[in-house]
Amino acid sequence: MAPAQADFASIVRLEGVQKFFGAVHALRDINLTIGRNEIVGLIGDNGAGKSTLIKVLTGVYAPTAGKIFVRDREIQPNEYSVRMAHELSIETVYQDKSLAEKQPLWRNFFVGRQIANRFGFIDIKREKKVAQEILLDVIGFRGVGITVDSTVANLSGGERQGIAIGRAMHYNADLIVLDEPTAALGVAEVRKVVDFVRKIKNSGRACIYIEHNLAHVHEVADRLVVLDRGQIVSQIDPKDMTVAELTEYLIALQRKG
Amino acid sequence: MRLSTLLLVGAAACAVAAVAGRASAADPIGKGLTMYMQMGGNPGDGATLARQTGAKQAAEALGVDLKEQFSKWAPETMIAQFKEAMAAKPSCIEIMGHPGSAAFHDLVKQAVDQGIVVTSGNAPLTDLQNEFGPKGFGYAGVDLYAGGALTAKAMLAQGLKAGDEAAVWGKFGSAERAISETGLAETLEKAGLKVERLVITQEVDSDASLGVPQFAAYIQAHPNLKAIGTQHGSVTGVMPEALKKAGKKPGEIILGGIDLAPATIDGLKSGYISATLDQLLYLQGFIPVVQCVMTAKYKMPGLSLNTGAGTVTPKTIDALTKLIDAGIR
Amino acid sequence: MAERSEASWLQRFEALPIIIVYALLLALFMYLSPGVFLAPYMYTTFLSTLPPLILLATGLTFVIGAGEIDLCFPSIIAFSGFIFAVLFKEYELSWLAVVAGLASGILVGFVNGLIIAKVGIPSFMTTLGTQFFWAGMATVLSGGKSYALRGAEESSVWQWIVGRPFASSSVDWLQQISIQALWTAIIVGFLWLILTRHRFGEHTLFIGDSNDVSRVVGIDVDREKIKIFTLMGFLAACAAIILTLENKNFFGNQGQGYLLTAIASVLIGGTSIFGGRATILGTVFGCLIIGMIEAGLVAAGLTGAWVRTVQGLIFLIAIIFYMYADEPQRRRALLARMGFTGKFGGARAAGSEGTALKRTKS
Repeated sequence: MAPAQADFASIVRLEGVQKFFGAVHALRDINLTIGRNEIVGLIGDNGAGKSTLIKVLTGVYAPTAGKIFVRDREIQPNEYSVRMAHELSIETVYQDKSLAEKQPLWRNFFVGRQIANRFGFIDIKREKKVAQEILLDVIGFRGVGITVDSTVANLSGGERQGIAIGRAMHYNADLIVLDEPTAALGVAEVRKVVDFVRKIKNSGRACIYIEHNLAHVHEVADRLVVLDRGQIVSQIDPKDMTVAELTEYLIALQRKG
Repeated sequence: MRLSTLLLVGAAACAVAAVAGRASAADPIGKGLTMYMQMGGNPGDGATLARQTGAKQAAEALGVDLKEQFSKWAPETMIAQFKEAMAAKPSCIEIMGHPGSAAFHDLVKQAVDQGIVVTSGNAPLTDLQNEFGPKGFGYAGVDLYAGGALTAKAMLAQGLKAGDEAAVWGKFGSAERAISETGLAETLEKAGLKVERLVITQEVDSDASLGVPQFAAYIQAHPNLKAIGTQHGSVTGVMPEALKKAGKKPGEIILGGIDLAPATIDGLKSGYISATLDQLLYLQGFIPVVQCVMTAKYKMPGLSLNTGAGTVTPKTIDALTKLIDAGIR
Repeated sequence: MAERSEASWLQRFEALPIIIVYALLLALFMYLSPGVFLAPYMYTTFLSTLPPLILLATGLTFVIGAGEIDLCFPSIIAFSGFIFAVLFKEYELSWLAVVAGLASGILVGFVNGLIIAKVGIPSFMTTLGTQFFWAGMATVLSGGKSYALRGAEESSVWQWIVGRPFASSSVDWLQQISIQALWTAIIVGFLWLILTRHRFGEHTLFIGDSNDVSRVVGIDVDREKIKIFTLMGFLAACAAIILTLENKNFFGNQGQGYLLTAIASVLIGGTSIFGGRATILGTVFGCLIIGMIEAGLVAAGLTGAWVRTVQGLIFLIAIIFYMYADEPQRRRALLARMGFTGKFGGARAAGSEGTALKRTKS
């Protein structure tokens, strides 16, 4: 379950990355390094560019300028894609968009990288078998009435995040990206998600975690990166600031602009 | 569970009603015969209703079990429905000529070989009539060309002169059906009018009200237009609407059409419609049933009846109103 | 909160509800008109009239499963049918005419897919527009005329595509069986495998479920949409050629009647209009039901007006049924209101509603 060992310092490094959408300068001069086994919390106000940064990191968007290094090797921006990110063991868990509601779990686990023969026909029996293993071993759903045939619509919010994170871990992701995983979740569900995030670190992986709720991310992150209007303005160790101080800091930032 | 119960109850009710409706008196000559009949458009249409009434009354009088089919005037539907009729192995089948003799030939031959009596109505299938006439293939409908010519003559009688502009809307391009409008157009041309032929599209064919904007547009674009002719029942009914929209008063343009749809009756009464060919739709429904019984029981050959006997004008419409309301004329 | 029960017996067997309805309807028609429905002729007739509808509805199953709609296919029946008919008759191109006909349908479908995926116009609007365009093209090119394919049954094309393989049999109903039913069964069976077991089928359902999720998990949504609409074009062209050959005629505006019947067949069969759930087996039975109703009602002696009424009734009942089957909360609420508690539907009514009714039987 632990990620493959190899000699590299950081799992992902962005140097001087810029992103324009037309005339909108969404990301300015981003320099960010994610170590091999740390949880990085990405915080900042709405519109700061957190989602855009994530999408550049994971191949959904190509940067307008700048360099991307994965495991210390440079990747050409125009070659980088979601599929390539998967091949490089970078997985993303989106809030609402990681799982297809009406499809059964076993399909959700494997879509995009099906266990299939040369002609594209899926080995359904094997997928279901492996899905069952993931469900029990990786995610730890036991006896709660969920099977690999259940559709995602039958799961609670926290459980869905768990499935999506479990999927990422099954694919031996070295970096798991979480986009607002606790939004719209109740207290008990949030607890589940935070535990899953800890599991990521405990299994030797890295995680970058966008979060609005400072209390959640403060609890679990090793390092907090603050984004404001497309720029990284500071990187903070949670041990150095309480949640209250953090809140004040962000409010002050907002007023400054 | 609920679906099947609902349907079963509904179907049972209909079955009881159907059985109860059968006459139980002395056996009529057609007893035991089943007949599938192509009615044409949609149930209750202007060009279909009188046919339905005629067929139903003939079936009741003669004791024939009549099954009505409606095809929205679409030729390929008529063919598919003929196949379904054949599969039910009735005594007789009545078809219309819209798909053409070529399309129907092999299927009709198959049916006749199986001993089914096939006859026709409304639009002719001359080749098939010639080939299968002895086996009972008759025709009850307008002699299309003559009907169109008759309508044209009635229009001319209302004051058209050589050199006048006229527009004729018809299903030009479809098998035999366009002959009626051709008869209309050519008769007008022989009298010296300048005739433009326009095509009725499939959409307008099934739902004539869709044609009103294009008719009105044409009328407005041709200020010297003196006459409009058609042999399409529903188009006749909506043409007064188009004339109104184009700002014309009754009688400004001589309008000749066919059938006696409710809207056409209003058109005649208001004067917008100058003459309409009465193709005696009632008989187009009644006679094929008679043909069926005569051939099936008495081995008579197919008979041709030209039901386009005359035109109705604003002067003669009032006398017919009651019958029209009863769905007979 | 959400219901945990395993997929109920209804959902376990694909398309079971519609198969039951079909069986019931068939039984009803057999009871009402035994002379017609207990004899083989009606069924052999269906074998030569239903294949085009089934092919169209199968293509639509993919389209609707992907959350899109196609309104253009009737005009492909006219356009591809024309291309085939004119090349077959006027230029006597035989099998090349078939290839050309199929190619024309593929082209139309491909263009639809391009506009929808790359330009981004919603499928409803795109196919509405292309429907008019290609139907118009068919009329312009054909001059509104119909083409009779006299003597077509002599050609190998006719023999192989819609021929009667048992024509020399002594059993009369065997003679009627058209080979188009076999080709259709093969094509539809293959597409069923694709939808349920192939990557492409899975992609289709995911796209229908959510375009965003599909992109995020690495599906090339644009490319798959283009494929789906191209497939539809191909199947519509197949239907066009079969129809034209079977009738031995090209009718100027053939195909118009299929628009609503094909869509209704798909929806009655259980494919969800919202996308993400599709069943080809259901679609096939939906076609059988729609195709059977008219003949059945006419044979039973009901007038034409009843046909549409019954079709509409069945459609509504089916849709309502699927909605309740799909959404456990609504189903429970409805059943609770009617006094049913217990296994089917569950005793836990949503929220505080139904507390008074909670008498779990066990």
